[in-house]
Amino acid sequence: MISTHLKTAIQNLKSNKQVGIVTITTFAIAFSIFGLFLVIFVNLNSILATWSKQVQIVVYLKDDISLEERQALEDLIPKNPDVESATFVPKELAWKNFKNDFSANADILNSLDINPLPASYNLQFKQSADRVERIREFAETLSRKPGVESLEYGEKWISRFEQFMVFLRVFLLAVGGLLSLGLIFILANTIKLSVVSRQAEIELMLLIGATHRFIKGPFLVEGMLQGFLGAVISLILLKGIHIYMKFQFLESIQSILRGGEILFISPLHSLMLISIGLFVGWIGSYISINQFLFAGDLS
Amino acid sequence: MIQLYNIFKTYNGKIPALNDISLLIKEGAFVFITGPSGAGKSTLLKLLYRWENFDSGQVLVNGMNIAKIKYTKLHLLRRNIGVVFQDYKLLPNRTVFENVAFAKEVVGASTKTIRFKTLDSLKKVGLLDKRDSYPLQLSGGEQQRVAIARAIVNSPKILLADEPTGNLDPDMAMEIVRLFQSANERGMTVVFATHNHDLVAKSKYPFIMLNRGSIVRS
Repeated sequence: MISTHLKTAIQNLKSNKQVGIVTITTFAIAFSIFGLFLVIFVNLNSILATWSKQVQIVVYLKDDISLEERQALEDLIPKNPDVESATFVPKELAWKNFKNDFSANADILNSLDINPLPASYNLQFKQSADRVERIREFAETLSRKPGVESLEYGEKWISRFEQFMVFLRVFLLAVGGLLSLGLIFILANTIKLSVVSRQAEIELMLLIGATHRFIKGPFLVEGMLQGFLGAVISLILLKGIHIYMKFQFLESIQSILRGGEILFISPLHSLMLISIGLFVGWIGSYISINQFLFAGDLS
Repeated sequence: MIQLYNIFKTYNGKIPALNDISLLIKEGAFVFITGPSGAGKSTLLKLLYRWENFDSGQVLVNGMNIAKIKYTKLHLLRRNIGVVFQDYKLLPNRTVFENVAFAKEVVGASTKTIRFKTLDSLKKVGLLDKRDSYPLQLSGGEQQRVAIARAIVNSPKILLADEPTGNLDPDMAMEIVRLFQSANERGMTVVFATHNHDLVAKSKYPFIMLNRGSIVRS
């Protein structure tokens, strides 16, 4: 039965070639827009993951920290299983490093007769899935300890970036939803043209006792075929854009981000895009053929 | 068996089409429905396969109260009724064989059955040699014979003909009537609508005459 429907659907597409091409192209463009957002999302997510890996804590100590307070910190830090290494940077070393980093302003720095920088601990953390969350928790514990002046671990902008990614996810869903809805309407109208061009045949089918399922079958397959082809073409287009971007911009991006890669959407995402194409195609034709069939319902 | 009880039908609730029609057509009968254009012949036939609805009354076809059949289940009624039209309603892009076979395909018959029954049907109407032709390559009479072959291929209990000789010359018209006769002899109930009085007069079958939606003679 499905092969008969597929055969009829392909025949229909061939006989309505122009309309079919317009629909498939519309699908391909819409899916490419959606796919492009998806590619951007995937890449930003990867940047976020890379940056998260680089997060470390710098614990600045008060100048008047007591020996007991420092000892308490030195006892506490190694006890945390997530800490990979801890380095103590004394006041003098911090000042020396600072002066090295800003050697261009050596005159000004040398004219200062005090060392304004505090001593600190630099903590590196082991890799894990919830690394940022664990760092955040430990940072809170440390900040409440006596003798700690302040903490720095890039938490604020990581949080902001995470919030942005949540927004991007919602935005993607909204764009995907709206595009799908638009495509459903476009496809419903295209299939309607196909239905009208085969009106005599459908009426004949109804007359000679065809079931609704039998009549609908080829139209549903036709819609799904258009959705499928549109999605596949959009994936090919996206891959083309991806290859071009890699060729043109990978080096500059790697130099800015110190590494990294321009990623393509995962096979799962590609499969999802094709599934959406099939579903949108199916629902668009379903609406159209049902409208036609039930226009004759006199009961 | 076809039973109609006090059928009233208007188009758009205003234009009267059928006015208090009651009739009984027994199983295996051959009946002409006659009358001038606009008398309600086609409307009456359309009610029988529920292409049109009626305002009041009751229609029983093969014991089924057709008003009670769900819209999506109408195929169960229509598979037992073969319909032949004045304009043949053949699919121009399919061959004679494919046109007839189409009626068997839609009821889900196997390929073997489709082939056997289609060839048998074409043999009955004398068009076996034209099976690979396209409808537009045939004469009007031949096209109507294809339509008859398609109507009988599923061996329906009832055969309805809506002005099937309207476009044909008198000799071809008699030939078409003869095909319906032989279908009737094989046990099908035939309801033949025509405005051609000569055709009715030349045959031995009973008739129902309609005028302006009412039965005026039967």
